[in-house]
Amino acid sequence: MHLDYRLTDDRETDWSSVTEEDLRYRVALGNLIFRVDDKDFSAAWGWIPLIDLVASFGEIVRKLEGRSTSETFEFTESDAWIRFEKKDGKVLVSTSYGEGVGEIPLSPLAEAIKSFRERLHSEIVRKHPHAAHNAAVKKLLGVG
Amino acid sequence: MNLRPYGVLLAAFGFLMTVGAGVAQTAQYVQVQNSDQVILTRWALQHIMARHWPDSPAAGAGKFQEGTTEASLRDLINEAVRSGRGRQNTHGRPGTLYEYDFRRQIGTTIDGGPATRLRVVVNNRNEVVTAFPF
Repeated sequence: MHLDYRLTDDRETDWSSVTEEDLRYRVALGNLIFRVDDKDFSAAWGWIPLIDLVASFGEIVRKLEGRSTSETFEFTESDAWIRFEKKDGKVLVSTSYGEGVGEIPLSPLAEAIKSFRERLHSEIVRKHPHAAHNAAVKKLLGVG
Repeated sequence: MNLRPYGVLLAAFGFLMTVGAGVAQTAQYVQVQNSDQVILTRWALQHIMARHWPDSPAAGAGKFQEGTTEASLRDLINEAVRSGRGRQNTHGRPGTLYEYDFRRQIGTTIDGGPATRLRVVVNNRNEVVTAFPF
């Protein structure tokens, strides 16, 4: 499995004052790179709020680690979705926009999301130092 | 199920940015609003236009029909909130999602096909966050 992102350049955002709503819908936009086995569920749309995405993925994994057997991520600006279904200790991944079903154990998926979150946080803080002190960033990226 | 309490009275007092006639207006007033109406700020309109206007280059996002105006967009949004199905936003995102099928084309889907439905995201301050056809 490969889970990664491409962050769009942003020189306009005041990272000291961004809110959770900004991070959920308007800030830290980019592309999702997501391949499971030979299935490519990447979304190179440019507008995907990446902090929202990784926060949502983290919430989904927490639910799957609990009693939930199926969780669906909904993109913010379309009806496209990514579905995660727990079955026999593995997670089946499918989307509304890509063909096929990928399969991955839950633990590596959780690790990949954690790595995504840490890399995204590092890149944002390196490019925008004020983000390190922003409460919404801390909340959604789970640091601080 | 519509999650919005019927007959909500919102008194917005102070300076509020609104959208009108293509120009941001700043006005001090008391706005009385019921559950049928939501606030479309200039920022939300710009957000929607950048991603979902007919001439928007944004990929992977539904587009409104040619000829959609700010006024007709506001009408679509209010109709969707008034008559659509409401549900809590997902996975920790704040606010409410409303979806309504107009049973006529209002735009195009991400695949370019005809879209008859509208999804509206409304935050806890009764403001539109985004809206798109699907």
